[in-house]
Amino acid sequence: MISIDKSVMKTETLDLDNLSPEQTALEIRNLDLKYGDKQALFDVSMKIPQNKVTAFIGPSGCGKSTLLRCINRMNDLVDNCNIGGEILLHGQNIYDKKVDVASLRRNVGMVFQRPNPFPKSIYENVVYGLRLQGINNRRELDDAAERSLRGAAIWDEVKDRLHDNAFGLSGGQQQRLVIARAIAIEPEVLLLDEPTSALDPISTLTIEELITELKSKYTVVIVTHNMQQAARVSDQTAFMYMGELVEYADTNTIFTTPKKRKTEDYITGRYG
Amino acid sequence: MGNWFKSGSPWIWMTGGAVSISLIAVLGLLLLIAWRGLSYFWPAEIYQWELVDQQGVSSTIIGEIYDREEVPTERLISAGHKFKQDPGEMVTRYLIKTGNREFVGLDFRWVLATDIVSRSKPEDVAKMERTKNGDFYGYPLAIIEDGKRLALDDVEASFEEHIERAVELNDRAVELQKREIGAINYQLENLRLKERRYELDNALTDSRKLSLQAERDKLQADYQLLEDEFFALRQEAARDSVIIRDMRGEEVTLRLDSILDVTYSNHLGILGKVGHWFAGIGNFVSADPREANTEGGVFPAIFGTVFMVMLMAVIVTPFGVIAAIYLHEYAKKGPITKMIRIAVINLAGVPSIVYGVFGLGFFVYMLGGSLDQLFYPEALPTPTFGSPGVIWSALTLAILTLPVVIVSTEEGLSRIPSSVRQGSLALGATKAETLWRIILPMASPAIMTGLILAVARAAGEVAPLMLVGVVKLAPTLPIDMNFPFVHLERKFMHLGFHIYDVGFQSPNVEAARPLVYATSFLLVSVIVSLNLTAIAVRNHLREKYRSLEH
Repeated sequence: MISIDKSVMKTETLDLDNLSPEQTALEIRNLDLKYGDKQALFDVSMKIPQNKVTAFIGPSGCGKSTLLRCINRMNDLVDNCNIGGEILLHGQNIYDKKVDVASLRRNVGMVFQRPNPFPKSIYENVVYGLRLQGINNRRELDDAAERSLRGAAIWDEVKDRLHDNAFGLSGGQQQRLVIARAIAIEPEVLLLDEPTSALDPISTLTIEELITELKSKYTVVIVTHNMQQAARVSDQTAFMYMGELVEYADTNTIFTTPKKRKTEDYITGRYG
Repeated sequence: MGNWFKSGSPWIWMTGGAVSISLIAVLGLLLLIAWRGLSYFWPAEIYQWELVDQQGVSSTIIGEIYDREEVPTERLISAGHKFKQDPGEMVTRYLIKTGNREFVGLDFRWVLATDIVSRSKPEDVAKMERTKNGDFYGYPLAIIEDGKRLALDDVEASFEEHIERAVELNDRAVELQKREIGAINYQLENLRLKERRYELDNALTDSRKLSLQAERDKLQADYQLLEDEFFALRQEAARDSVIIRDMRGEEVTLRLDSILDVTYSNHLGILGKVGHWFAGIGNFVSADPREANTEGGVFPAIFGTVFMVMLMAVIVTPFGVIAAIYLHEYAKKGPITKMIRIAVINLAGVPSIVYGVFGLGFFVYMLGGSLDQLFYPEALPTPTFGSPGVIWSALTLAILTLPVVIVSTEEGLSRIPSSVRQGSLALGATKAETLWRIILPMASPAIMTGLILAVARAAGEVAPLMLVGVVKLAPTLPIDMNFPFVHLERKFMHLGFHIYDVGFQSPNVEAARPLVYATSFLLVSVIVSLNLTAIAVRNHLREKYRSLEH
């Protein structure tokens, strides 16, 4: 059993099965996913609450990243990928034919496992999404850049070299730059796919602090390998195993009194 | 021994050896071409030989040593040569350039060392470069200015002065002919075409006829004036002449307007020779060719080569890049795409002359012919675009080099990490936006690599060009001062073809040989400098997008 500092644990808990529509950011309904003949997700249903941090945990290959990538339709890029079921964002199915994928992704930002800045200056990286929307007003871009870089807690480190190449930054700084780039377009949901797995412990800590700050403005969904991290940063945790959602509850509950045997085994380190 | 094999050092020796052999071959080739080509411009010593041949006839020749070889005595004897005394096993034979083509028949002759009685290096002998009949060797004796023989102490200084004057006047005349007179000719031709167009449209009214005639008269009047000026310049240039004693001992009078330059090589110091050498090279790259390309410079060929290659690059880059983007980004992966890709790669293996035939049939006759029918009916039956020209050459070479650009662009596209693409897509970019803003800039070094390979291949290609646009001698450059300034339908000269023409089609093989080396060296230099420019651009781009080295 992992020791958790009880003093930081949230007292308020949400009834995840009966969230009101106002509290719900995302609703996943009966999601199935197949890569060719191989089924990767089996009938996943869950509600992700607004302005909370939700963590997906589970052993490698359990489908947690796949599920995350369904939320902004990154799986569309994979050939032979068949998706059944629905994901509702504000009651609208994002897999509906009428949905414009580009505008969906403007609402659902994503940060990847490895920092992936563009080969441009720090400034141009941050305003990339805004330029895509046709915003070219210098003042507006400058403001957005500063706001996002501050929001990603990297402003003080880069404010004097905004026009240097982004590759001059360290890995942790690059990852925060990528987060700044994602929040510059002010999405509603921010998806983080193992955002610290390629970083050193100190950068990891900075990013984790950042994540807890981000939830005041965004709904955050994070995939992580690291159970301590899930315990530290998330409000809800979903445990997945072999493509199925095994258990989904308050982080507190999952880590102290899991209902399912599999969850307990995983959390106590019996496998995975 | 077994251990030595196991240690792997034989492999290192073998691979290292292969690299050294390649390097030596390339350097040797370049050095040979450079040496043979560049030494041509070095002012050679002029000798005077006294000869007595086997019949006992004595003669004098003046000239430069061009080549020498050792000939077995036996061979000479069996060829009917008789020696007064035994010259040993080998006899040295010199190839001497004697010039004075119109007086002595041959301007090169072989002389056996055994026939030479004496050799001297007179100070006051000079070599004159002429507009016709090649070089002239002799002793300048006096200048005739305006029909009067000048009494001079220093013939040399005065000679050079008078040549300069004549050359300057001639240059002005040539300039006048090329620029002003050329422009009037061009306008007259345009008027003729305009009239013909009216005629074809049945719109040639009397008033139009009159106005055309008026314009024509005006141009003719201008032409007359310019022509008078031209002839005046020419006549002025032909005012003086020079008396020269040649190797037969006779005094010959040469008009000064036929002489371009005089060199007293034997009393030039080292600085004078270096200066002369640079002047010679400068002249070679900047002047027009003369005398069936065996004399003068190669400027039109340099210009034609560079212009055609650049035009080709402008055509091939967008086509190649767009095709590669489709193949790599949009085409469904399947047997058809695979087959297309294999076909593209195989295109690179088609012999270039086949492209030439295709270019002639498709571009020149079909495309050019239809363009003429549609847009230039007034010029028919004279073809405008329907005959070989620089645009068709550039297009033919663009097809020839297309596979190279496609393959290297595709390689560049596949090297871009997918995380960067996903990063852009995740920010709400469409695929096209991602391509345009992220992928293409990142692939630009690879595109430049493709372009470098394409330029290297195209600049050296001659065979297809002989069918689609290259000529031995083009009277005008593809770019000039006459509207619309760029004339893509014109034929052009090319360094590669120039080498072939001078080396193998020339009436005077001996005189042309050093030019073959000089032109080859120049062609290599042109290709190398085009490539270096492209490589510099590529390195700059690489530095900018160095993210690929994660």
